[in-house]
Amino acid sequence: MSDDPLITPRAVHGRAPDVFHPGGWVPMKEYPLREPVDFVVIGTGAGGGPLIARLAEYGYSVIGFDAGPYFRPLEDFASDEASQSQLFWTDERLVDGANPLKMGANNSGRAVGGSTVHYAMVSLRFRPEWFRSRTLLGYGTDWPLDWREMWRYYVQAERDLSIAGPVSYPWGPKRPRYPYRAHEINGAAEVLARGAEAMGYKWAETPLATVSAPRGDSPSCVYRGFCRVGCSTNAKQSQLVTYIPRALAAGAEIRDLAMVGRIEVDAAGRACGVHYHRNGAWHFQAARNVIVAGYAIETPRLLLNSATDRFRDGLANSSGLVGRYLMTQSNQAVYGVMDEMVRWNKGPPSLTITEHWNYDDRKDFHGGYCWMAQGPLPVEWSAAMSGSRKLWGARLREKMADYNHQVGLKMVGEMLPHPDNRVSLANEKDRYGLPVARVTYSWHDNDKAMIQHALGEMQRSLELVGAKDIWRQENDTNHLAGTARMGNDRKSSVVNADCRSWDIPNLWICDGSVFPTTGGVNPSLTITAIALRTADRIQMLQQTGQLNF
Amino acid sequence: MVNTRTPTGAPRNALALLGSLTGAALVGALYSRSQPTVAHSPTKTPVPDFAKANLAARRLNRAAGTLALSVLFDSALEHYRGQFRNRAMYTPLVTAAMALGVSAHGTMDQRQMPHVVRDTVYVLTAIAGLAGTGFHLFNVRRKAGGVSWQNLFYGAPVGAPIAIGLSGLLGYLSERVRETPSGQAPMVWGLPAGRVVGIASGLGMAGTTGEAGLLHFRGGFHDPFMYLPVTMPPVTALVLGRTALGPAGTERRATRWWLRATAILGLSGSAFHAIGVGRDMGGWRNWEQNILNGPPIPAPPAFTGLALAGLAALSLLEDHPDD
Repeated sequence: MSDDPLITPRAVHGRAPDVFHPGGWVPMKEYPLREPVDFVVIGTGAGGGPLIARLAEYGYSVIGFDAGPYFRPLEDFASDEASQSQLFWTDERLVDGANPLKMGANNSGRAVGGSTVHYAMVSLRFRPEWFRSRTLLGYGTDWPLDWREMWRYYVQAERDLSIAGPVSYPWGPKRPRYPYRAHEINGAAEVLARGAEAMGYKWAETPLATVSAPRGDSPSCVYRGFCRVGCSTNAKQSQLVTYIPRALAAGAEIRDLAMVGRIEVDAAGRACGVHYHRNGAWHFQAARNVIVAGYAIETPRLLLNSATDRFRDGLANSSGLVGRYLMTQSNQAVYGVMDEMVRWNKGPPSLTITEHWNYDDRKDFHGGYCWMAQGPLPVEWSAAMSGSRKLWGARLREKMADYNHQVGLKMVGEMLPHPDNRVSLANEKDRYGLPVARVTYSWHDNDKAMIQHALGEMQRSLELVGAKDIWRQENDTNHLAGTARMGNDRKSSVVNADCRSWDIPNLWICDGSVFPTTGGVNPSLTITAIALRTADRIQMLQQTGQLNF
Repeated sequence: MVNTRTPTGAPRNALALLGSLTGAALVGALYSRSQPTVAHSPTKTPVPDFAKANLAARRLNRAAGTLALSVLFDSALEHYRGQFRNRAMYTPLVTAAMALGVSAHGTMDQRQMPHVVRDTVYVLTAIAGLAGTGFHLFNVRRKAGGVSWQNLFYGAPVGAPIAIGLSGLLGYLSERVRETPSGQAPMVWGLPAGRVVGIASGLGMAGTTGEAGLLHFRGGFHDPFMYLPVTMPPVTALVLGRTALGPAGTERRATRWWLRATAILGLSGSAFHAIGVGRDMGGWRNWEQNILNGPPIPAPPAFTGLALAGLAALSLLEDHPDD
């Protein structure tokens, strides 16, 4: 049998890979197919991971499905950018609209642990006002969640992920101290700091999910810089090395290389299990509850692909909003060259941040953005130089020689929700015979205004610290959100505040797709906080007899 | 809920073993035999003992040497890590090595007179400590953000050069105790030597606690044992300070225990740090990197050096009642 985790499932025969030891195994409970488990969770990323762990710790029987492989970082992750593309979801998707999204690297993941296995570990909280952006800031739509409650779950998420952050965070309401201290900042991060100081803006070390001191079997970060691919030391606190091991220890089962293709609904209109493809065949797992956590493309695709005679437009879609209000985040950058050596690839890429424009409302567009220091690896950098700056041949080679002097600032900006930005089904089928997703995206005037504002600000910051050969990367976007938004009523949302679908009471959706607005910060910590809250709410509802299973 | 905070396997066993050993040593220190003290009768004026002054001076040499040893290896490690970017970064290596040499000489020297080389080296060492503090402070201030947690954590450690300064100071005090004329109680700067040494060691211990506290805070106190060097030495410093200011000529069992416990703590701290080095990526197989980036193994015995100085002060106080 092949030992390739991309070909042969590893979590079988009552054991799962021990992520902390090469070749190691940990015991894993296995549940029979025909007997319904309490929860099936589809997806093991920032939303699915905490849910699987917390529900198992509450004593429920839980199975976590992931279409991707179960890696052991210490033996499977090479220090090689090309090899690490194995972590991205590169199955075919159709993209269109005025600004088609580039799918793959920074908006998907295909592994146990989801995209947290290769995320840049930036762990930020939403600005409290964003949860009521319509009422307080006049754009988007209000969330059904109260920021003070979210603040409590942020604390729990930060503790569980041992976030390394500054001693005091300069923006927003007071938050408790991060469990671990911030990392030492590198040359690129210092350029951001000096630029921010020159502009009179506050800056801070970015709170990151990589440990600055040992934690359990994770060693402290060694600043390799291979952060936007898999971390081969386990310093990165991805779901793979945090909640998933906890879930296994609490009695959950993980099924890797298991692509869920359809959610089955019984005659009573309740979800009763999932059809999934594993080891070359389709299987059916019975379940009392189904939680979808496949992120903003795969979640609506699965719901739409699960349409029945009774739910002709797909599951949980009586509002017609499944797949709609897709949001990405603007990820434009400004780059320059310093006289002195910077070596921007050393350490995590986003060591410093300024959230100035997330908290300052004196601007002529809606929403907010932050910017962070950058440190792309050589292949990624050459792709940006050729793709965005249109350099090729000798010119590209010449500019690549500046690599160790290069600096950059990259925004994460809030794009506003728009119903026409959406995920729908294409006629084309994938390798499992399932219709692929069509992703339609166009920037609107507010998005463009914000991008221009941010580019101008970032450029000014680089100019103030003496960077030369400055150029703008204008076409990049990253994180996704929306497509199954949460809300206070069934007509204008897909799920309620508990991530429970309005239409099918035992069908839940818990990932970035429930975001009504996406905020100007990286979404993973908010997804995890929502998942932790959902687990608590499920336990509360069950204890008070409101779940009936 | 499964515990994901503590390590598994060998590091956990090593921590448990070392924790137990340290605990046993601390208990052992409680029951170990005290140095016999002269029972003073309040009516009789004690006769100052030349041999005792010499013994105290040699103990101080030993304390200064322990500190110098700690600084020698610690500064060698840290400045090597900093690639000796500035030529001045060789200074602590030179001064600490010289201080170590003269301390070894002093520890063995039973003569009742100061040595001009020792005296000079100790004074130079103390000055180098002060200058180093200035250098480190300058390094921190010129970084982006100035005096901030980031720069205090990762810039040049502001408190570290004081350790070599303290070694010089203790050595200087040792020479003063040594030159006590026959029949007189040891005095420094017109004050009873025991009190001066006691206060100096207590202050040094408080400062070293600050340094350990800062760096253990940087490490997020990720291991419960990391609280030991920020809780025990301050108590020792307080107890020693009280003893140094209180009545002399009496036996101080509690002070002696706290000082011994702190001396033990300094040594087991190195072993704890060695386990910490093993917990970094690649463990001890990757010692070339982890020794530089992990917890500094030579640093904790600074506490031992100061505790030894405290013990020397205690003997001076017990042997030479001045009130």
